[in-house]
Amino acid sequence: MSFFDSQILHLTIFLPILFGVLVAFLPSQEKGQIRTVTFIAMLVDALVGLAAYLQYDPKGPEFQLENRLNWMPDFGISFHTGVDGLAVSLILLTVFLGPLVVLASWTFINERVKEFHLALLFLQTAMIGALASLDIIVFYLFFEAMLIPMYLLIGVWGSEERQMAAVKFFLYTLVGSLLMLIAILGVYFIAQPAGARSFDYATVFNSLLGAQKELSACMNTGGCDTAHLSPLAMALKVYGPWMFLAFAVAFAVKVPLFPVHTWLPDAHVQAPVAGSMILAGVMLKMGTFGFWRFAVPLFPVHAREFRVAIAILGVIGIVYGALMCLAQRDVKKLIAYSSVSHLGYCMLGMFAFTAEGATGSAYQMLNHGVSTGALFLLFGMLYERRHTRLIADYGGIARVMPLFAAFFVIVTFSSIAVPGTNGFIGEFLVLLGTFKSSLKIGIGVFAATGVILGAAYMLWLVQRVFFGEVTLRENQRLFDLNFREVATTVPFLILILVMGLRPQMFLDYLNPASDRFVARALYGSNEANVTLDQVQMKVMPLAQVATAEQEEGQPPPRLQMGAQLPVLKKPAIVQPFHAEPFPAAAALKAQ
Amino acid sequence: MNIPTITGADFEPLLPAGILMLGAIVLILSEVYQRASEGARGYQAIIGFVFSVIAGIVALYTALEPSRTVFQGFGVMDPFSGAVTVTICVGLALSVLVAAGFLRHRNAERGEFYALMLFAGAGMSLLSLSNEFITLFINLEAMSVATYALTAYLRRGTRPSEAGFKYFILGAFSAAVLLYGAALLYGATGTTKISELTARLPAALQTNPALVYLGAGLIAVGFAFKVAAVPFHMWTPDVYEGAPTPVTALMSAGVKAAAFAAFVRAFLPFAGNLSADPQQHAHIMTTGFAVLALLTMLIGNLLAIPQRNVKRMLAYSSIAHAGYLLLGVAALFAKPVAGVTGVLAASPLIANANPEAMARQETLKGILFYLLAYTITSLGAFGTLAALERREDEPRGTAWDLDRFSGLGQRRPGWAIAMAAMMLSLGGIPPTVGFMGKLLIFRSAVDAGLVGLAIVGVLSSAAGVYYYLRVVVYMYMRPSPEGALVPDRQWTTELALVLTTAAVILLGVMPGPLSQWLTRAGVIFGH
Repeated sequence: MSFFDSQILHLTIFLPILFGVLVAFLPSQEKGQIRTVTFIAMLVDALVGLAAYLQYDPKGPEFQLENRLNWMPDFGISFHTGVDGLAVSLILLTVFLGPLVVLASWTFINERVKEFHLALLFLQTAMIGALASLDIIVFYLFFEAMLIPMYLLIGVWGSEERQMAAVKFFLYTLVGSLLMLIAILGVYFIAQPAGARSFDYATVFNSLLGAQKELSACMNTGGCDTAHLSPLAMALKVYGPWMFLAFAVAFAVKVPLFPVHTWLPDAHVQAPVAGSMILAGVMLKMGTFGFWRFAVPLFPVHAREFRVAIAILGVIGIVYGALMCLAQRDVKKLIAYSSVSHLGYCMLGMFAFTAEGATGSAYQMLNHGVSTGALFLLFGMLYERRHTRLIADYGGIARVMPLFAAFFVIVTFSSIAVPGTNGFIGEFLVLLGTFKSSLKIGIGVFAATGVILGAAYMLWLVQRVFFGEVTLRENQRLFDLNFREVATTVPFLILILVMGLRPQMFLDYLNPASDRFVARALYGSNEANVTLDQVQMKVMPLAQVATAEQEEGQPPPRLQMGAQLPVLKKPAIVQPFHAEPFPAAAALKAQ
Repeated sequence: MNIPTITGADFEPLLPAGILMLGAIVLILSEVYQRASEGARGYQAIIGFVFSVIAGIVALYTALEPSRTVFQGFGVMDPFSGAVTVTICVGLALSVLVAAGFLRHRNAERGEFYALMLFAGAGMSLLSLSNEFITLFINLEAMSVATYALTAYLRRGTRPSEAGFKYFILGAFSAAVLLYGAALLYGATGTTKISELTARLPAALQTNPALVYLGAGLIAVGFAFKVAAVPFHMWTPDVYEGAPTPVTALMSAGVKAAAFAAFVRAFLPFAGNLSADPQQHAHIMTTGFAVLALLTMLIGNLLAIPQRNVKRMLAYSSIAHAGYLLLGVAALFAKPVAGVTGVLAASPLIANANPEAMARQETLKGILFYLLAYTITSLGAFGTLAALERREDEPRGTAWDLDRFSGLGQRRPGWAIAMAAMMLSLGGIPPTVGFMGKLLIFRSAVDAGLVGLAIVGVLSSAAGVYYYLRVVVYMYMRPSPEGALVPDRQWTTELALVLTTAAVILLGVMPGPLSQWLTRAGVIFGH
């Protein structure tokens, strides 16, 4: 394997921040240069990310493109990265949005340009890192590190109420994730024996498996005879619900699920276009991804206990979000509440625990990133011209900006799930999965009303903004999209149609992941027979060299990638001339 | 009369302290050859810095030697004291750098200021290796007297003298309480040597438990004053605000590190022996520490929220951070094995051979890591503060107002980045060293079964993030006020800021080597 192939995930993660170092040394007044370099960085990252996506084999093992570097070996933390089908798809979405975000803020951001682009690059690294990490602490680090640049994006370049919105965003997310930190520590301690503990995701997961099976067997029989449980199963029974809830709250805030969604409208409304795009496009997915990757597979028994509650909260989110949209006078707030509604579908589909539902949920994550990202992008263009967010200040825009109106309507169709666009596939699969699942039928029925409400609020918005007579004089002189703006929007439109007409390209990646997700969620339950190889997690074996050497009092090697490079004891001159020129390479081959 | 034999090896652990004292003497002598009115004094700060660094390097070299007692058991040489001395020297070197620019701005640069700092540092280093209560008391006083003088160094205003007097009275009082506790403990056990307590405590607990607990309690109160634990924290905000900012930095970093080191050393014998108590009062001590940690975390963070004065805010935040450290200390006492009802009662951990010693070493590592992280971070924060304040505003107390930070991101971008990194690190946000410190401390707390306390800890630290972020809000999201001055640049202060910022981020991203070193340093003599 070439260097590029083996390090492709590291490259995708760290390229933005490496370019960030370059940007940091550019003079601040050279705004064009800064924008160009950032754009190139994002573009290169997008290409590398695409290469990673193509290198991932959907039919292969679950985690691919793996890499493990020793980081804090005495602590059981390694910089372990790798992706499954969902993660690599979300990474693709992230790198797809990257260059477009830079283009979208090309003329909008004129103050502190350098800092703005540094924040974007840092954010990109943190988001991809969170999606790619296979170590719980590394995930947590990236998850938290995302907060800082997003906080700055909202707070520095946002609108009038930006400080309040930024602090609210930060504190909401932080409180949730700090509780999760305690739960991470809890699961780290109860699941593993002292001395051999690790924060490695697969290790933690596999060490819980036996106890999960035991606990669900005992739950299935109704009355639970606690006397026969193993200590670990007992600990899980007592503390599992709390740990699951800690994880769930952290991710529910990020999603955002119904009662903890209140930070989202503020953050979206106050954020600049780039902030809204990234927030809607990728960061909200960190919540659903967290449920998918951590909260449910680590605590399947407890996830099933809280399943109905979460599904109902998801449905409330769908309907409540849609109703709030109908009542909005502010376009950005409307799009923000539509996010609450869309993400409700993701949660509902996931907690249906059926293959269709999970796939639909995953597809909906991608869809929402594309369509809501595009909505924020397009509205940002209008906002740049008129500097108002109120629906009442518009009307008849289609007459003055026909191209813009056409683009907006196509994206609207995607958002309200018109067949032929990507939104349809996602919502259809989610509803199908919900009706097929063991959830009560009423939940599905209520969720389906969200589709109608969605069409209502979006079409009403389009009507009020675009059609009719141009009522205000300010709107008569608006110029249509320029080349840059068209170039920014067209990729979105292409993706909307491709994802709507050729969904199989993407579903191939998501299907194995959702099968495994459902198998893990239902592990040990009465509902389904699942095979163990779907449930167990196979990753690169953990290098034990670190712990063994540490006991001898030697510092362990920092870099650990599969094989260890042998140390040259003799100076190279002593060796005969015809010997293998690179002994290290030969040793590697031999191993 | 027996004359105890003292060899050269006995002096080995005193080497860092000796170097610091030598530096202090050089500084005082330099003042003899210096004309009072004129002449550059920049070299004095460099002398102070160089001696602190040398002492730190020497401590680094001696830290990992096998532990033993010196001077007939009055002092020890163990990795723990070495690591604490390194932390103290780091704090000392950085605060000397901050002080150089600060004093030059006020025309108050004098050799004796740096000399007092180094003397205080020597006292701290000796405190960390004292193994006997009288020695401990003397070193505590050596450290404290130097800091009292430093607090009132800028004696013209009312605030410094008020702060110095307050600190002196309360410090003297707390030292007396500590001494009284040591006397009671001597009455109960017949020894003042800490490492002998381990052997004598079981018998003493059989015959006279009340005296043991009273003595231990009074010692704890004495230390609680020094580390500013609630409810013994009242002096902290006033003293921290009134003292010259570099001195405040030294107090919040070095004094705290040394006091915590002595605290841990003095109480570790109790951790292993409380089960010998026939009346099973062992939980009193565990509960006591847990309550102390709880109150300190909560009240420190809550009182910091309404502060508009950044220096006072940092003072309250230093109380809160003492609370997190106390959480680590409490974790030393809550035993992870038998008899716990925490998460771990049912875990497979019980099967391990000696989990207690392992957990203790891990906890000590956490405390040491946190001390170092807090030292670096608070030095950086106080350093920025010192660079920003102007002499004229001090009497009115507006020198440290939040408004001073308005628009700093544009006026002095470098300083703003440094301050932002410090605030994030104090708040425990990755990728900074503060997060790693919190992670280690909370990990030990969860391991010890103190889950509830850990939850309070993380929630109060979320409250902490609110007031740390406010500084960032002012720096980046508020415009500079009309006619705001661009403060002078001092290369020494900026060097300190560069060093601390680099350390905060690098140690946050790559904590591995430090953490491995501290794993081996988390060894206290006799345990």
